[in-house]
This record gives sequence, structure tokens and C-alpha cells, in this order.
Amino acid sequence: MMADVTALALVALLLPAVSFLILAVVVPLRRLGRPAAYVSLLCAGGALAAAALAWRGAAERSRLVWDWIPAEAGPLATIGVLVDHDSTSMLLLVALVAFLVQLYSIGYLSDELPYALGRYYTYQSLFAFSMMALVLAPNFVQLFIAWELVGLSSYLLIGFWYHKPAAARAAVKAFWTTKLGDVGLLIGIVMLWRHTGTFDLTELQAMVNSGTVAAAGLSVMTFCIYLGAVGKSAQFPLHIWLPDAMEGPTPVSALIHAATMVTAGVYLLHRTSWLFALTPEVLAIVVWIGALTALLAAVLACVQDDIKRVLAYSTVSQLGYMMAAIGAGFSAAGFFHLLTHGLFKALLFLGAGAVIHAVGSNDLSRMGGLVKRMPQTAVLFIIGSLALAGIPFFGGFLSKEDVLGTVWEGGHVVPFAILMLVAFLTAFYMFRVVFLAFFGAEALVAHAHAAAASSADHASAHGAGHGPGSHGSDGHAAGGHGIPHDPPAVMRLPLWILAVLSTMTGAYVTVSGPELFLGHLEHEPTSPAWLMPAAVAVAGAGIALAWLTYQRAVLDAERLASSMGVLRTAALAKFWMDDAFEAVYYRVFLGFSRMVGWLDRYIVDGVLNVVSEWTVVGGDKLRAMQTGRAQDYVVAVGAGLLAMLIWIGWGR
Amino acid sequence: MTGTLATTLAPEIGLFVLAVVVLLIGVIQRGDQKRVVGWITGIGLLGVLGSTLRLVEGGSVGDGMFVNDGLAIFAKQLLLGAGVISILGSLTLGHASFSRRSAEYHFALLASLLGMMALVSARDLLLFFVAFELMSIPLYVLTGFLKRDEATSEAALKFFLVGTVSAAFIVYGISFIYGVTGSTAIDTIPRALAEGQPLTWLGMGLMLVGLAFKIAAFPFHMWVPDVYEAATTPFVAWLAVAPKAAGFVAIIRLYVAGSSASDTWLPVIVALAGVTTVAGNLMAIPQRNIKRLLAYSGVAHIGYMLIGLAALSDSGVAMVLFYLVAYLFGNMGAFMVVEAVARSERSEGIDAYAGLAQRSPLLALAMLIFLLSLGGIPFVAGFWAKLYLFLAAAEKGLYGLVFLGAVLTVVALYYYLLVARRMYIDAPVCSDRVRVPGLLGAAIATCAAGVVGIGVYPAPWVDLVKRVASALF
Repeated sequence: MMADVTALALVALLLPAVSFLILAVVVPLRRLGRPAAYVSLLCAGGALAAAALAWRGAAERSRLVWDWIPAEAGPLATIGVLVDHDSTSMLLLVALVAFLVQLYSIGYLSDELPYALGRYYTYQSLFAFSMMALVLAPNFVQLFIAWELVGLSSYLLIGFWYHKPAAARAAVKAFWTTKLGDVGLLIGIVMLWRHTGTFDLTELQAMVNSGTVAAAGLSVMTFCIYLGAVGKSAQFPLHIWLPDAMEGPTPVSALIHAATMVTAGVYLLHRTSWLFALTPEVLAIVVWIGALTALLAAVLACVQDDIKRVLAYSTVSQLGYMMAAIGAGFSAAGFFHLLTHGLFKALLFLGAGAVIHAVGSNDLSRMGGLVKRMPQTAVLFIIGSLALAGIPFFGGFLSKEDVLGTVWEGGHVVPFAILMLVAFLTAFYMFRVVFLAFFGAEALVAHAHAAAASSADHASAHGAGHGPGSHGSDGHAAGGHGIPHDPPAVMRLPLWILAVLSTMTGAYVTVSGPELFLGHLEHEPTSPAWLMPAAVAVAGAGIALAWLTYQRAVLDAERLASSMGVLRTAALAKFWMDDAFEAVYYRVFLGFSRMVGWLDRYIVDGVLNVVSEWTVVGGDKLRAMQTGRAQDYVVAVGAGLLAMLIWIGWGR
Repeated sequence: MTGTLATTLAPEIGLFVLAVVVLLIGVIQRGDQKRVVGWITGIGLLGVLGSTLRLVEGGSVGDGMFVNDGLAIFAKQLLLGAGVISILGSLTLGHASFSRRSAEYHFALLASLLGMMALVSARDLLLFFVAFELMSIPLYVLTGFLKRDEATSEAALKFFLVGTVSAAFIVYGISFIYGVTGSTAIDTIPRALAEGQPLTWLGMGLMLVGLAFKIAAFPFHMWVPDVYEAATTPFVAWLAVAPKAAGFVAIIRLYVAGSSASDTWLPVIVALAGVTTVAGNLMAIPQRNIKRLLAYSGVAHIGYMLIGLAALSDSGVAMVLFYLVAYLFGNMGAFMVVEAVARSERSEGIDAYAGLAQRSPLLALAMLIFLLSLGGIPFVAGFWAKLYLFLAAAEKGLYGLVFLGAVLTVVALYYYLLVARRMYIDAPVCSDRVRVPGLLGAAIATCAAGVVGIGVYPAPWVDLVKRVASALF
């Protein structure tokens, strides 16, 4: 049975790789578009089945590894799969969301040209493979390689509409910002290897358990590893790339920038929680940064008018939640929230995608009253929102409670208070979106015509690349009868599956606890009895405020906003974080680059030019020996013999 | 364990029978022979390669004159594998004389191969020299195979003249050793060396010249560019790998393995490694002909392998063997691409590669992979080969050589990437695809698979060569 589980995990890992290779190498197939999508989908489906079986079968930790880079003292690196409860749960989440997103994309990207669609599915397969390789990594080397591959596929997918300047910029921004953290991760991994002599997670854990890892200097290493997580999981101050990453197609946002890749940092910290437990000072940083990130992003989410950006900031905020739980020393709670969040956030993104697809715009002010036109989407989106708000029996309820309880138990009172405030804000901003988009006056009838000329980014993305052959705007809204409606079945089905799964797991764990996902835990977080009612009340208050403000208009939104004063200004300016980074980038970084560039051009290049000139001249000189005359060749052999004999005689 | 004559010599006997069959077909069949002879040779070689898998390590014949140890079996598989790839490439050669005298070509190739197979197993100086000549003489014939071509004949003649001089040094050296030890058995050499008799050193030094000529170390390399440029490319692909592999195995046996691993050879091998790496890389830079460029870069690779040998350790030998495998795939693959381009462009100049990526993206990609492997870029085979080689040398404290090798790797990348730039950045002169015959394509694909396969997952190969090398010490 053991071997079966690892083999299943391996199958799940390799199927997307096969699909990627087929699509990458067989160019004619890729250019066909639809058939390429079916190949990718087939492999993703197979991977999902294998992952589900592996998840059901995983009982204890088992591994299947091969030596990859042999060295004198044991292999330097191995490759393979490390299968246990955590990795199979994560594998299942990745496989599930990847499959559903690929299915959904068939409908969502139906207007793309065939070659672009083929490219999209090639990237999707690459991403699925990289992410699974990361999840199943038995050592830091494979983890880091997969980590970078995931970053690469994210870059490619954000920039999928590369003819759109904003998308190209966002792709580069995401790449560089996360790379900043990756450098830390690499340094951390190598330092840890110097410290312990191994990259292997299982060996490391055994060393930690037996207490043979010296504590001295360890906190620097865990902090460096944490830096990698900060970049990938969009923690303050490296969170700035995630909202911009929304320039990619919405299904990509659902898969990569909500459910899977951005949670890689959380997963990494959970995976190495035994290591972090040795360095409580680093964990304290994790808690504080997590809480701060959650608050900052939640405030920002309240002022966004772009539906995808609300969700993006909400993702950042929830990642902060997960990190806070890990920092509080009970990483299973953070991981649990990761899993439930993956389901309902993918649901929300795909739901938002359906709305955008129908309306042809990301802008909340162009929506309104959609519940009449797209009743199914509305129901689904509300289910997702309730899950995110943490209402009992919905997806995020228990996991959110667990996070809050853990932070309270860990004795972090201020972060706990912050997270409670965030819970309130979360409910508020989600239902702000719900009321603005689905209820209230219909903003669309007038808008249907405007959409054709819309400058909204999604629509222009479609328009820009396609030329005369395609729709001017996105799909049905402008191209067809002008009235939005629920998406086609191929897009609806993934939404329903996610909604049902999210709610089912929510209801199940509400009743019977999280063992299904986490296995048997050594100690449950024992949250105080008042916590659950308090958290639900806070969420309810958030929803109520949103209802009063945006539905009943008892409170004037504008006055509510301006009563926040400077906070609002700051939020609208994204707390100047992006500006700060830009300033640092332009002044400090580019200035430094210019200096290095000067040094490089005039000093280093000068030296190199001289050396390379000598090299070329040397080559010419030596070439002169090659006279082409056989007698000279024999002379050379003789001279060589003489030199060699003299050399031997001298050496003796 | 001593096997019977037939089981121990099975590959050699098979090869001999194959050669006779090929020769007979040449006598019987008139007109276009190339297809049938080529196929028989190729399939026969695969069969012989299969028979090596059943060889028992340690089998010996003739009172230990001929021994199949792990190193010999490994080398035989390498030589035969290179032979198969070369035959794949030459099956579609279009020269008129090639079709008429195909049996001659294949017979000479098989004879040379037989010599190499005997050479890597030889434990007796007499057998050693006979095998050495059996390997060398057909090579001269093969070089001059297109006898109506003046440049080819000239190159063959030069090759023959210089080669004969080198062979003379070998036999001269053997005579000294026999004079001192009174025996032709190679096993007696270490003891004679330990006794410090100067004539032994002289003899060994003379033999080293002959072997250095065969592996084309500087300054015994001068035949290389002329021969490579003039001879048919699939043959050159094999010539660039197989005799050198056989020569390296001989050097390992005589100078490095076991108790003969005397530090006295260290300065000589270090010096040879240093000058060969420098000279090969520098002389490759000004080349405008791709085959000459690959010839000089091949000299540089010999220098790198000598760096590994200079470690005089089991890991050093292991990594030389690993390097040979990587070099086999990378170098043969590059030559096969050269053949494909030369056939459609009628040019072996580097200029013929302008814009190849736009005309034939897969062919250009294959060439790029081979060049990157030769240059030593991760994750293709050549990277691990260089890395492990340098590690083995560094373990023995040869930091100077490692530094030199690393710096010259940069120089090597310069001329390899010049070709890559031609392919990927320059505009093509014409836009039609380069037509690659199926079998030649198969040879290229095999090499590419080898380079990438080893590059992505080197572990089994590394384990294999380590096992082979550790038995020698």
C-alpha cells in the first residue's frame, strides 16, 4: 500500500509534465488550440484522480527518491516524492483547482486565437507540474527548483496577454519582487546545508528531533527561508506584486494567485515548522508581519473599485492570516486555512471571472443588479463570500476560528486584536462587492453599448491582440445581444463543484473537526469558548455594515469613507508602498546599477578587453604553428617528446 | 574467474565475423552496395553491443594477455555505441565512391574497431602494439577514403606519416621495457618502475608520446584539424571519440591505475593537460570552418580529460570516463548536425549556420544543446562532466589546473556561442528548410537524448563509472 501511494503521487506529478512536453514539442498540436487544451485537460484529470487516490491512501510518511547529483559523501541532491498527509492534501488541492481552472478556461478563453490557447495550456501544464513538484519535494533542492519553475510559469501566465503593456509590466514586477525573496530562500537553504550537511527534509527533521542541530546562527537561516515565503506569499512589504498580477487572465488568478502558488510560502513554513520551532524570535516576526499584512490588505480591499483587485487584496490579507497562525506556533491551523481558502477563493475568482466575462469590465460601478441576469453566478459568489467571511457551515468558518484561537493561545494579544478587526473588514469588503455587483440598480443596460468601446483592461486585452478577426470586447456582452447572463456550462460546472466542495467541507469540519485534512493532530488548538460567538458576531457586523451602506443606503458610503480621514487617503494611495518601492527602484537601485554599469564598462570591460585581445592574438599566434606541412608536424612530435623526457628526468 | 575462450572473446569474434561478411559482400556484390552493407554493419554492431552485456568481469584469455575487467567492458560498450551512431550517420552518405566502395569503408571501420576492442583489454605489450596498429592503420585508409579528392589524400598522407612516427616511438619504448624486465607483460612494469631503472622511464616516456598522439594532446595534435576537415563527417564524428577513448583507457592502464599510479607521472600529465587545454581553446577561436573549430575544441576537451587524469585517483578516472560519455554524445551530435547542414548547404563554414533557427528550429535547437554541453552549461551532460572532473582534480589539490580549466571554459563558450549567435540572431540567407535524412535525424536525436538525459539525471552514469574506476585501485 505504501509503495502504491508514492507511485500514485508520482503519476499525478508526471502527467502534467507529459502534457507540457507534448504541447511544447509537438508544435502543430499546440497551434491547433482546442485539441491542445483537451490533451492538457486529460492529463490534469488523470492527475486529479491519482492525487485523490494518493490522498485517500496516505497514512504515514513514505518516500520514493532517487539520487540525482551523486557526491563522495552521499548524494548532494535527490529527486522524488515525499508523501504524507500534508503533501497529499496540498497535492489534491493543486490537482483539483488546476483541473477545474483548465476546464473553466475552455469557456473563458473561447475567443482566443488557437495558437494563443495552445500556449496558454502549455503554460498551465508547466505550472501544474512545477507546483506538484514543489508540494511533493523531499528536499530543499527540488523544492527550490520547483519554486523557481512556479515563479517562471506565473510570470508567463501573468504576461499571457503580453501585447498589453500593463500585463507585461505586472509580469516583470511579480517576477522581480518574488525573486527578491527567492534570493533569501536560496541563501537560507545553502546556509542550512553548511550548518547541517543535508538538504533532505526527513533527515533534517530527524536531526532536529534528536536535538543534534546547533541553535547558534539558526535564526538567520530560518529568517532567510522565511524571506522566500514573504515574496511568494505576498507578505508585507513584498505584497505589492500580487494586485498587479491580476492583469493575467482571471482563471490564472484563481489558480496561481489565490489557491496554489501564493500559498507555497505558507506551505513551506508549515512543512518546516519543526525547524522554525527552534527559533521563536523568527516566529514572532512571522506573527507580527502576518497580522500587519492581513490588516493592511483588508483596508486596501475596502477601497478598490476593481472586483479582481478586491479579491487580490483579500488573498493577501488571508495569507497574512495563515502566516500569523504559523507564527503563533501552530502551523497546522494555518495550513488548514490554506486548504479551505484555496477552495473558496478559487470559487470567488472564477465567479468574478464569470461576471467580468459577462459584463466586459472589472469595474464594480459598471455592475449592479446582476442577480436578475446571472442568478446562478450570484448564488455561487455569495456562497464564496460567506465562506470568506467565516459564517458557520461555510468553507472558511472553522479554519478561521482555528487561526484566531491559535494566535490567542500563543499569547499574541495585539495581533489577535488586529486579526479580529480584519475579520470584520473582510466581511465588510466582501459584501460590499456582493451588494454593489449583484444587487441595487442595474448599471448595465446603458453600459452594454459602452462596453464595446470600454477601456477596461480586460476588454482591451482582448481587443488589442486579436486584430479584425475577433470580438471587440469580451465575449457575449458586446459581441452578442448585449445582456449579460450566466456563463456556459463548461464554466458553470467548475463553479458549482467548488461551491459544493467548499460548503461540504465547511459543514463537515464544523461538525467533526479538521482531522479529515490534517490527520490526527497531537494537540488541538483549544480556543476559548467566547471566541466562536465573538468571531461570528464580528463577521455579522461587517456584513450588516455593508448591507446598511450599500444596499439600504442608510449610511452614506462617501461619508463613511471620508470619516476615515487620512486613513482613506493612505489606503487610496496603497499606503504609498508601491511608490516607495518605485522610488527605491529608480533612485537607489538604478543609481547603483548605473554606478556598477560604469565600473563594468570602463574598468572590468577594459581589463577583459585586454585579456580577450590577448586570447585572440594568442590563438592566431598558435595557429601559425599549423603550417600544413607534415615535416613540421613530425618536428612538433619530436620536440614534444624531448620536452616530455626532460620534464620527467627533471621531475625525478 | 576465467571464462572459456568463446564467452570471453564473444564480441571480438562477432566483430571479426561481421567484418569478413562485409568484405565478402563487397567482393560478390557489384554496383550500389551502400545500403545493404551499411544496414548489416549497423545491425551487426548492435548485436555485438548486446553481446558485451553478457561479458563476465574478470574473464581472461591467453595467460592473462587479454582481460575483460570492468574498464575494458565499459570501454567496449562506449566504442561500439559510438560505432552505431556513426553508421547511422553514414548510411545516407551520397558520394558516388561511397556507394561503390561501401564494403571497403565498413570493413576498415570494423577492423579499426576490433583493434580498439583488443587494445582496451590488452595486458601484454605485444598484443598492445598489434592492437594499436590494427586500430590505427584502417584510420589512415578511412581518412583517405575519397581518394579522388586532393585535400583528403593529403590529409591522409600526413596522418599516416606522423602516425607512423608515433607508432615507432611506441615500439621503441616497448623494446626498452622488454630489455629491462625481460617480459612483455604489463603487470611487470610497476615493479620495474619502482626499481628506478632509468631505461624503464625512457620506455614509458616514449610510449606516452605515441598515446598522446592518438588522443591528440598538444603538441601531438597537428593531424587533427587537417584530418577532420578533409574526411567524411560521420567518420570524423567517430574518429573524434573512439580512438581517443581507447587511447585514454590505455593511458589509464599504463600510467594511472593501481600501483603504477606513481607521482612521477604527475608533472608530465599536469603539463600535458595545461598546454593542451590552453592551446586547444585558443586555436579554436580564429576558426571559420566548423569542422576545424570542433577539431580544436576537441583538443581542448582532451586537455580537460587530462586534468581529471592528473588527479591520479579513482574519482579522477571515474570522471574521465563520465566525461568520455558526455563527450561522445555532445561531440558526435555536433558533427552529425554539421553533416546535415553541409549536405544541404554544400558548405562547412560557420557562415552556413546564419539564421538556422528560423529555417530549421529543431536542428538549430539540437546544435545548441550539443554546443552547450560541450561548453559545460547546466543542465546538459557536459556540465556535470566538467563539474565532477574539476571536483576530482580539486580533491587532489590541483587548484591551478582547475582554475585554468575553469577560465578556459569561458573562452570555449565564446567560440561555441559564436555559432549559436549565427544560428539564432543572424538573419538567414535563404529561408528554405534544411532537409535532414531520417537516419541522420535519428543519429542526432539519439545524441540529443543522451546529452539531455545525462544532463537531467546523471546519477546512474556516475554510479557506473565510479564502480568501474574503483576496481582499478
